Amino acid sequence: MYDDIFRSLTRQKWLPIALATIVLGATLSTVSPAFLTFSNLESILVQSSVTAIMAIGMAFVIMSGGIDISVGAILFFTSALFAQLMMDTGSYPLAFAAALACSTGLGLLNGILVVRFGISPLITTLATYSIYRGAAIHLTGAQNIPVPREMGFLGNGEIWGIPVPILLLGLIFVIGIYALTQTRLGVYVRAIGNSDRSARESGLPIARVTIAVYAIGGVLAGISALILLARVGGLQSGIGIGIEFTVIAAVILGGTKLTGGTGTVTGSVIGAVFLVLIDNGLNLMNASPYIYDIVRGGVLLVAVAVDRISALRRERQLRLQKTARLRETHGLA
Amino acid sequence: MKDTATKVSPILSVRGLSKTFAGKPVVRNLSFDLHPGQVMALVGENGAGKSTTKNMICGLLEPTDGEIQLDGETFARVDPSAHGIAAVHQELSLFQTLTVAENMSIHHLPGSPVRVDWAAADRIAREQLDFLGMGIDPQVEVATLGAGKQQIVEIGKALLQANRVLILDEPTTSLTAIEREKLFAILDRLKERGLAIIFISHFMEEIYRVCDSYVVLRDGEQVGAGKLAEASRKSLEAMMVGRSIGEARLELTDPQERLALRVEGLCSADFHNVNFTVAAGEILGIAGLMGAGRTELAEAIFGLRPATGKVVVGEEEIRAPSVAAMKRRGACYVPEDRRLNGLFLNRPVRENLSAAAIGRFVTRKLRSIGFRGEVKSAAKIVDDMNIAVPHIENAVGDLSGGNQQKVLLGRWLATRPRLIVFDEPTKGVDIGAKFDIHNTISELARDGVGVVMVSSDLPELLNTAHRIVVMRKGRLVGQFHRDEFDAARIISLAASAGKPADV
Repeated sequence: MYDDIFRSLTRQKWLPIALATIVLGATLSTVSPAFLTFSNLESILVQSSVTAIMAIGMAFVIMSGGIDISVGAILFFTSALFAQLMMDTGSYPLAFAAALACSTGLGLLNGILVVRFGISPLITTLATYSIYRGAAIHLTGAQNIPVPREMGFLGNGEIWGIPVPILLLGLIFVIGIYALTQTRLGVYVRAIGNSDRSARESGLPIARVTIAVYAIGGVLAGISALILLARVGGLQSGIGIGIEFTVIAAVILGGTKLTGGTGTVTGSVIGAVFLVLIDNGLNLMNASPYIYDIVRGGVLLVAVAVDRISALRRERQLRLQKTARLRETHGLA
Repeated sequence: MKDTATKVSPILSVRGLSKTFAGKPVVRNLSFDLHPGQVMALVGENGAGKSTTKNMICGLLEPTDGEIQLDGETFARVDPSAHGIAAVHQELSLFQTLTVAENMSIHHLPGSPVRVDWAAADRIAREQLDFLGMGIDPQVEVATLGAGKQQIVEIGKALLQANRVLILDEPTTSLTAIEREKLFAILDRLKERGLAIIFISHFMEEIYRVCDSYVVLRDGEQVGAGKLAEASRKSLEAMMVGRSIGEARLELTDPQERLALRVEGLCSADFHNVNFTVAAGEILGIAGLMGAGRTELAEAIFGLRPATGKVVVGEEEIRAPSVAAMKRRGACYVPEDRRLNGLFLNRPVRENLSAAAIGRFVTRKLRSIGFRGEVKSAAKIVDDMNIAVPHIENAVGDLSGGNQQKVLLGRWLATRPRLIVFDEPTKGVDIGAKFDIHNTISELARDGVGVVMVSSDLPELLNTAHRIVVMRKGRLVGQFHRDEFDAARIISLAASAGKPADV
């Protein structure tokens, strides 16, 4: 039985990042006794929640063979819309509904553009990134808008003693895993990401699934926007800049392949936590703020290099197998 | 058994089935009946229309004309899942990153959209795999299975849908001898179940092993049909090849003594211990079926694929082959897919022609920056090769396939090579351009260039080559000189399953 658990554990694609996170955590706890306190760990999870939630959406997009550069802009647009509506109307139901509908809509638009025009998702979402961000600045007149103090509940409040962002992350995490492993959509996402040709030949609803994953990416960016807005207390012009890098890095670190077809929700969340841990560690070491980006980029590079090397090794193995088959076919020794 | 089969009404009847692509008929007036428990061989050379026929019957293509009857009902277009027809294509359509169970039931995932019943999917896959007699775990990722098991999974997947007709397109090309026998045993059991099977293969032994009846296609036309027991292998091969063999033949000059290329003991994952030579002024044809390893061989010579062995160009052994290294020694490779691998479609003909020899045109003096003589050279090639283009500044993408191929050929000729390797030099090219290209190739040989020509178009090889070597499943299995060319023997050698003869 332990054998079974061990075997199924080693098959998990998120295992490497989980081990790396544990090692990093252990290292940090020896460097600083403040690290392994309950409040610090909790704060790390809260800090990770925004990128982790977005990473779950991005995992779906990347598994389907796409990429979404515009998530940071969707986050910014949603924040702007919410803050502006709250300032103008003061109605929470209206602002929440508008924020969620709008973020879903922007994601849908990404998906429709990708499907309808068949342009590479990278270029499509690079364009919408600029459009969404520009539109948001236009909408708010580039001003900082505070949100009412009660909003803070979403960012810093607690239910049953658990911070709300962690609860939200947990909920979305469970839904994400369920959607990926138990629904038709989940299978189709991986199938389409693996082989467009086969998906076409099998008659899978490629267009609908593609649009759906971008919409999922959009709505999760919207939810993240609300948490972030609550945590920082209002709209600021810098919100969401560069966050797409962190989100994509979290997904890739988590063991999802940029080529699509395979990936994990769990790994993406752990990847997001890992990146926060790195920041946390650098912070504990009083590192210069300029070092952060260098370290993040370096970590991502190492992760993809390791992945590439193992892929090359697999390729070589396949080639050897093929040679062996060829010899067998001809009855050669 | 066969006699009782013909008494029951046919499960599939095809009447006057035709398909035209862009005005060009690819399949014409095809008619046959298929009964339950019957296996029909669909044979023909590459490009005879087998794939188009397959795609019409399994619903991927809509026929231009004719009708398909299933159990007496007529349909304009087949709906594969509703009609119980499925095809296993030569190129597998499995999702490598999905599990076996996920792959097998991807068409009809059990349960609801928001809750797939994985237990049921697993059970369905297990039952099917048990029936096929293969110990494959439904829970493993397909990528971890070998080619043989993947083929079985693909068949299992098709069988979940096919309760009437199963189409198998070259199902054995990636199988070892043992796996092939297992597959045939499975087919026998499917026959007993009353399934009708269309079996597309080049391998005559297999056809006689599994099939009851046959339909022969040539150039899209049905040139023969009947019971296999009444047709000899020779007669089938004769029908496939037709009478057109040995008609037009190019006048060739004798090759020189000097060698242009020597390949010794070349091995890779796709071929084994390949040896051959090409003399200067000689045209060597490499014949074989698709998947025999011919393109891989050509690519390996130019370092595009990893391989071990010796490649000698002229007198010099190339230690680390690469396209650039080969080019420096005057050897060039003209790949099969010209759009993908060769031409810059949105650039003018002039630039495409000079691309490989650009160094010759670059003037070194600062005063006259630019490419001297490029226009002149391009105009000369266009003229020499009879390329139909309004102006050399027109984009290559605007030209017809034949003229595009000529541009690609012309580009390499601009480098004044001593060795050229062609992969399918006239694929998808009209007859006039084909004629021009063949002439150009024979002129090259006359000028002392060594030519290797990989082609699936056997008449083309018979027409243009001094010598033909035959490749089968990664090995050279025979060689023919021009005076002993025999289309039927070449085809038979390429497609036989026996031990290779010594070359």
